[in-house]
Amino acid sequence: MCPQDEIWLRKREKLIHILEVVGDNFKLVKSYSRSAADANIAVPSLLRPYSVLKKTVNYLLHEVGKQTNVPVIVIYDFLNDRLRAVRQDMTIQRLLPEQCMELLEPIIRFHVYFAYRLCEKAINEFDPVLNNKLLLECVKWFLSCADEMDRLNRCFNTHKTALSLDLLNLEDSKTMCDRVLVECLYILCNIENYQPLVRYLGLPSYIKRNPRLKLVYEIAIANIKNDFIRVCRLSHRLCPLTTCVFVIYLPRLQRNSLLIMSSAYNSKQLTVPTTILQDWMLFNSVVDVTECCKHYGLNVDNGVQFNKLSFKCDIEAHKPKLNNRLTGGQIINLHEVLTY
Amino acid sequence: MMATGTLNQYIQYVERMFRTANGENLARLLSLRDDHINNKNLRSSDIATLVEGNCVAPLDEIIIYHLCCVQALSVKDFMEAYHHQSQCVAAVVRLLQAQKEENWSLSLMYTVCLDLRLVAQKAELCDAQSNGKILEKAAESLLACFRVCAADNRTADEDTKRLGMLNLVNQLLKVYFRINKLHLCKPLIRAIDSSPFKDQFPLAQQITYRYFVGRKAMFDSDYRSADEYLSFAFQNCHHQSIKNKRLILTYLIPVKMLLGFMPAKRLLHKYDLLQFWDLVTAVKNGNLREIDHVMEEHESFFIRAGIYLIVEKLKIIAYRNLFRKVYLAENTHQIDIVSFQAALQIMGQVDVDSDETQCIVANLIYDGKIKGYISYQHKKVVVSKQNAFPPLSSLY
Repeated sequence: MCPQDEIWLRKREKLIHILEVVGDNFKLVKSYSRSAADANIAVPSLLRPYSVLKKTVNYLLHEVGKQTNVPVIVIYDFLNDRLRAVRQDMTIQRLLPEQCMELLEPIIRFHVYFAYRLCEKAINEFDPVLNNKLLLECVKWFLSCADEMDRLNRCFNTHKTALSLDLLNLEDSKTMCDRVLVECLYILCNIENYQPLVRYLGLPSYIKRNPRLKLVYEIAIANIKNDFIRVCRLSHRLCPLTTCVFVIYLPRLQRNSLLIMSSAYNSKQLTVPTTILQDWMLFNSVVDVTECCKHYGLNVDNGVQFNKLSFKCDIEAHKPKLNNRLTGGQIINLHEVLTY
Repeated sequence: MMATGTLNQYIQYVERMFRTANGENLARLLSLRDDHINNKNLRSSDIATLVEGNCVAPLDEIIIYHLCCVQALSVKDFMEAYHHQSQCVAAVVRLLQAQKEENWSLSLMYTVCLDLRLVAQKAELCDAQSNGKILEKAAESLLACFRVCAADNRTADEDTKRLGMLNLVNQLLKVYFRINKLHLCKPLIRAIDSSPFKDQFPLAQQITYRYFVGRKAMFDSDYRSADEYLSFAFQNCHHQSIKNKRLILTYLIPVKMLLGFMPAKRLLHKYDLLQFWDLVTAVKNGNLREIDHVMEEHESFFIRAGIYLIVEKLKIIAYRNLFRKVYLAENTHQIDIVSFQAALQIMGQVDVDSDETQCIVANLIYDGKIKGYISYQHKKVVVSKQNAFPPLSSLY
């Protein structure tokens, strides 16, 4: 998983990550380095072929990801770096689209999961924007490979091929390549954006008809119309990874919904019970509702008193919560999201 | 021009047009859409040696690439043709850079750029695997021209190459819309909008520009600007260009509908856009089931035109119209949520409940489409005594 030169160098310079120490031995994984002008990265002996990359990704996510004796943030930083190196190797040797998809899919799961897992962390520990950038890079890459496969299939006139693993004949892979999942994530990660929906509308019908993808499309359409009741209701049917994305989006949804309600329920006397808001906008508890309403400048007595003038529009959205009603009040674990 | 004659005559003719700064004719002589491309005397597998030394620089390389492209087109090798044409454009860029303080050769640039896009489109169709990559490359060549034009800011106003910017921007917009890379349009639009020549560009170019910028605004949900741009395009478009007017209307109609203006049947009939008529009726009546039905029936038309999601948004207008009917029927200022809910259910939204009905009403109030407020305790909507449902057209 690591070229010999790098092993020597890193041992000599004492650049071994804590997660690369396994018992008394070292298990080094090629680390990411930017392609500087003078460095020749296209050296065949430094590149890992597809089968090794596949093993590396599996090892990183399934073995290293399981570690519990180091802080999650350390695991994230390590995996993020090593997976980036995997992508670099993929780019340099221009792997076949089906191989790229195989490798990218678990990496996408990784970025989606950790965006959720680390959502409560401070910005100096975890940068959600940067993570999201890498995630979208992978998603777009994956989808362009999928499009290429579609076109190839059309050329060979084999319409029914839903992309599946048996095509690729891989024995020991623990993760599966789930195109529908990635299409779902693309829509949800950009839920305020029209572009992914335009893409959805143009997809081949065997994918477009998939119930999981349809569900996500319906959520996005309801979201465009600000129909938060429908959005929240439908969200209960999401799978664990799409739930991760939704949990991160939830604060923005709540904020927007409260803004709309501030106009519609604007009154000096009338209130809306906090339990109702908890129910409508998937707050964990009445305490959370109160806290959130106060955050946006709304008065809470027996119920929430909506006032369109006192709603603070210019304030930042509140942070997402790890434990959530949608996650069953528990933190989703990594193993779970990698193996479905 | 030059449909017959020898290669030498052709070269001399091109040279003369170049020396006399006759941009129009020079452009025609180097166009892929002129008669001379059928002239067999101009074809040879060894154009380069025949032209070289026979012609002044930098014209020689332009002619060589042009004729190589003609040669490739004659055997229908569009990929090869595209490569030659893109080199031709690059040679024209060098020519433009060398010509300080003059802009007569802009016509030549327009022609070779337009040809490049057309050839790239052809090549794209022939290569199933390309998926926009050829057009993307072509856009890079066009951008090289654009940069030369945009940078020419020391020349007097009438001689500046900056006058050529809009033509190129239009070409680029066409490419970006075709390959669905709308985010790349933004810097181009900014360049034109901040240009001092903004209103001096030829009307035809302004119409094309506004058509695309209007469509972009529509995708960005900026319907007011979309209306402005597309209306300009529609009103100024030549009355005989039925095809273009129809294209503009395809976007202008849904935008207008969102802003509360419904098209007349006569108009839809004239431009063969009756697909919209059922939609107009359904939106007017607040008939959600019918909207779904129309969307299903004309799905491919709406998707192809890229307006499917806008049509989806028209449901909001339908809600407003439906609730207004309920309000008029009930003839009171305090309307039960249940009444609205029942109306929604009758019109096809069968799974809607009291909470979602409130949510729909809440959005309409927030948008200013209903004046009033909701009382959660009483499950009622209290609407304003005056102008409870202001006309949509007055809102924007």
